[in-house]
Amino acid sequence: MNDFIIMLGRAGVYAPVALGAIGSIIGCATAGQAAIGAMLDTESGYGRYVGISAMPSSQIIYGIVVMFTLNQPMTVENATGAFGIGILSGLALLLSAAYQGKCCASAIQAAKAKPEIFGLALAPAAIVEGFAVFAFIFALVLSAGA
Amino acid sequence: MDEPRYVTLMSSLPYHGRLFGARQTPLSRFQLDKRLAWLEPEHADTLSRIEHVLRWRRIALGESDAGFLDRADTLVASLTIPLLAEVVRTRLEARTLIAALRKRKAGQSAPGPGERWGYGRWTNVIARHWSDTDFGVQRVFPWVLEADRRLREGDALGVDRLFMEYAWQELGRLGAGHYFDFEAVAIYVLRWDLIDRWTHYDAESARDRIVSLADASLGDYQEMYA
Repeated sequence: MNDFIIMLGRAGVYAPVALGAIGSIIGCATAGQAAIGAMLDTESGYGRYVGISAMPSSQIIYGIVVMFTLNQPMTVENATGAFGIGILSGLALLLSAAYQGKCCASAIQAAKAKPEIFGLALAPAAIVEGFAVFAFIFALVLSAGA
Repeated sequence: MDEPRYVTLMSSLPYHGRLFGARQTPLSRFQLDKRLAWLEPEHADTLSRIEHVLRWRRIALGESDAGFLDRADTLVASLTIPLLAEVVRTRLEARTLIAALRKRKAGQSAPGPGERWGYGRWTNVIARHWSDTDFGVQRVFPWVLEADRRLREGDALGVDRLFMEYAWQELGRLGAGHYFDFEAVAIYVLRWDLIDRWTHYDAESARDRIVSLADASLGDYQEMYA
């Protein structure tokens, strides 16, 4: 039983990276495809579109930092905490990256039609990023006591 | 669920702006068809069949009302995406109302029971309330009185404008929440059709249309005075 609990703890350590990576893959792919489509319809601003499509990559970075924080000698006492923090923060990072990708795709489409709203169109993506930062920060805070 | 190819497709389509502010379509039909080559084959077929029913230019001049209604029934029954079935139904019901207004203005009496003269849920209501100005459907089509007034004043273009505005708004309402999927593509193409129709309202095309209608109705007799 103890081995199983420790195994869960180890899974929790790697979960933020794996789940964050999956989210970043989905988000960057969605926004990247929108950027490619926008390039077909515009004559300039390609760099901006590609730049926006990279926004959901931050979640994997948060995941890596959480993983390093959780990566401590695993015992039965701290394994459950590592598992809970790792899995739940990873899920939050996954979903935030996937949905941020959709926000970025919409921002690209809107900015293509109205370049003057470029900054404002990024606000929803930035708000979603804010929630990912909340999940990241509090994962760090809690993992200090896990 | 958004399909990856439709994210690219939707982003490659230019913003269509407002219906009545447009002087031309946001992109040519040739360019639009090139982009639509990204559609899944079954989606391309669905969209083509929808356009064949909803786009005036795709409707054969000699097609009977019954033939058209059969085609519309077959199309709606075959659509597996409820939103698109609702799009077709809504448009054809509004057209039925316009047809009723024109028939009444022409002095025709109410359609008899069982007569197939229109499409949708309101044909019986309209027939029952033939003598009412709003056909008893003002709650569903708030613009019916305005359309009737414009028709009585001989403002056929104004009636069409009213109808197209309604169709445009309905597409916006039904398409809400769809951004990067097939439904969004279909809504875009149907809005493109509306812009295309509006921007082709000019004397030249009207003259050509009248000539083609006259030729079609004369049939074999058109050689008589040649």
